Amino acid sequence: MGADSGAGPGPSVPWRKVLWERQPFPDNYVDRRFLEELRRNEDLRQYRYWAVVREAGLVAQQITCVALFVTLWLYMEQGLLSPATLLWTGLLCALLGYGLYQALAPQADSDNQQRTRWSDLQSAAIFLSFTFGFSPVLRTLTESVSTDTVYAMTALMLLAHLVAFPYAQPSPPGSLSLNAALFASVCLASRLPGDRHIPGGAHSPSSSLHTFTMLCWALLVFALWPCLRQRLRERAPSGFGCVCVLMGMCGVVGLGSLWPGGAVLLAAALGAVTLLCPLLLIRLQSDKDNIQGPWDEAEIREDLARFLH
Amino acid sequence: MGQRRREAAVPSPPGNRHSDMLTVAPQVPAKKHNICMVSDFFYPNMGGVESHIYQLSQCLIEKGHKVVIATHAYGTRKGVRYLTNGLKVYYLPLQVMYNQSTSTTCFHSLPLLRSVFTRERITLVHAHSSFSAMAHDALFHAKTMGLNTVFTDHSLFGFADVSSVLTNKLLTVSLCDTNHIVCVSYTSKENTVLRAALNPEIVSVIPNAVDPTDFTPDPSQRHDDRITIVVVSRLVYRKGIDLLGGIIPDLCLKHPDLHFLIGGEGPKRIVLEEVREKYQLHDRVRLLGALEHKDVRRVLVQGHIFLNTSLTEAFCMAIVEGASCGLQVVSTRVGGIPEVLPEDLITLCDPTVRSLCEGLENVIARQRSGSVASPASIHAKVCTLYTWRNVAERTEKVYDRVAGQEVLPLDRRLVRLTTHCGHVAGSLFAFVAVLDFLFLLFLRWLFPDHLMDVAMDTTGPQGLWRGALDDRKGTRSKSAMLKNEKAGPHQTKL
Repeated sequence: MGADSGAGPGPSVPWRKVLWERQPFPDNYVDRRFLEELRRNEDLRQYRYWAVVREAGLVAQQITCVALFVTLWLYMEQGLLSPATLLWTGLLCALLGYGLYQALAPQADSDNQQRTRWSDLQSAAIFLSFTFGFSPVLRTLTESVSTDTVYAMTALMLLAHLVAFPYAQPSPPGSLSLNAALFASVCLASRLPGDRHIPGGAHSPSSSLHTFTMLCWALLVFALWPCLRQRLRERAPSGFGCVCVLMGMCGVVGLGSLWPGGAVLLAAALGAVTLLCPLLLIRLQSDKDNIQGPWDEAEIREDLARFLH
Repeated sequence: MGQRRREAAVPSPPGNRHSDMLTVAPQVPAKKHNICMVSDFFYPNMGGVESHIYQLSQCLIEKGHKVVIATHAYGTRKGVRYLTNGLKVYYLPLQVMYNQSTSTTCFHSLPLLRSVFTRERITLVHAHSSFSAMAHDALFHAKTMGLNTVFTDHSLFGFADVSSVLTNKLLTVSLCDTNHIVCVSYTSKENTVLRAALNPEIVSVIPNAVDPTDFTPDPSQRHDDRITIVVVSRLVYRKGIDLLGGIIPDLCLKHPDLHFLIGGEGPKRIVLEEVREKYQLHDRVRLLGALEHKDVRRVLVQGHIFLNTSLTEAFCMAIVEGASCGLQVVSTRVGGIPEVLPEDLITLCDPTVRSLCEGLENVIARQRSGSVASPASIHAKVCTLYTWRNVAERTEKVYDRVAGQEVLPLDRRLVRLTTHCGHVAGSLFAFVAVLDFLFLLFLRWLFPDHLMDVAMDTTGPQGLWRGALDDRKGTRSKSAMLKNEKAGPHQTKL
């Protein structure tokens, strides 16, 4: 039992990986079997390019949503679209989307549909009346904050929405991402031109209508559309691909009509996220070197909650 | 200058006043070292690392080395304290950050540690536990001061998540120019070699030990009308308490005479309480709460079977303690556990509820049929396996080997850091090493070494604790240590 190496030619007894036995080897002896239980890249997943592209498309979709929302706001801010037109369009979109959503519903819960429709109507009514009632309050909420701060906050919140969005389980969208998006929309809505153009002042109904429109569209784009998109993806995968591409194009064209430079940036971002990043992921996969061995903490794979409930 | 001090520290004749106590008397006059053990973890904190440092130090003192311990202040316990046999402990006033580990800035601990190393004429710094920031700091400063370094790793670590990637990088930096590393099991050695990208030749495996006199069987404490399964561990996730929560209802349903005795405290206690509540097992599952070290044996001897459900473990002293008390040991097959006990003393299972239940049922059946070895014979087998004297002997060999090695001078240390630890971390820490060196030069200018008082040796060849040592020969139990500490209020301000 020496600590030093160089014990000469190995003794005749083979080394064993045990501590209870005093073995005729030095303490720093390195056997041939050293690290023999090391395993590399055991749970490695082989990705296929188009499968990854399809998944990455979801991220691109959410970026498009943000771009579309900002485009709508730009249109309203420059007075190119009246809130009434947008509201009616929004209502139409919502009804169409709702119909599509119901049509694509899985057969299993068709029996309790009546109740669901009624409760859907209830939630919609509650939301609309509350938003309408609170619009004047929400409009003046950030009035005392400087415009620069509001824009910075909006950018930050939209970024937070993109980061926190639950891409793996987008229906319903996570509360953090949804709240960030709604906060951003409240910020943006307060900078719409309504009360400054109309001499009536702070109580001008058009300004509150602007806010109301903005919030409704925020809900459509950030809450309801991801749900419909997820259902499309589950029930009609081929249609989903087309819708994705169409949405992306709408986003680029819409932004391009006001700000061509922004559209180029958006197109580049979408291209990078959907096409380039998956390529990079697959390229870098060969560099992956994950090592496992007996030192790893054992995982509890069973559902132990069954003993408690 | 480290060189000079090392020569000064070589004693003329080795103190062999208690060679009768040693299992192997040193034939050649072995070189004696001035060792400083550094770790954040020491008494009054309790655990494997703490008792390892304490017991190892006591055995090294017994072998005639000079040992001092440096740790951070625990509450009001700060300054210098003397434990049994003149073991001097420096409780340094460093800020504790998380889980009893100090924060590390690479610099702030240099003045204090330098004064400890210089005043005690330390030749060798032995740092313990990779979770201890103070240990890494001490290694860093010791290398700057030209002292030899040894590091003992007590734990296992994965590779998969961000936190382990960062910790492993720090470990690589810390160990790349450390003279020798000690691990407590072969699995732990493989783990450390991989984590810190080391040459396996400079890593020794020296297991932990238990004091067999602290853990003797006492079958009269058992209830013969029932079978008792004992669990003694902290109630945390890593100890597999969730598995235990699955085992208890399963086995209690099948065996009406089965009782569980669970010692320890922790956040997972709630799981066991819920299970006990749901299955109405209040009379059969007893939760004892946190145990003091002296009470562990009293609990162990009441059981027939010792169960360990850990999910990861470098060595696992608990199963050795259980076996030493004569219990049948059932454990998960994780980490270094399969290396610890021979097959006839332990039943190994996969870390699943089903496998553990099967293993336990086998042992219960054997227990009922009476075909298990008697507690006394199990104790007789275990008590020779792991002794602190053996650990100290093997550690001493590591010290002898290290003492002959050179400490890398600054230029070669920088090359080593930049070539071994990657470009970014290597360059960064090379820069820090230069700053540390400059700081040391500044401190030497401010308080020159030759103006610093040399501390009295309590242990080692010129140790002054001789009388006390002879009085207390062979009493190294923790209660004796605590008693001694209360009795002797040797405390100075730093």
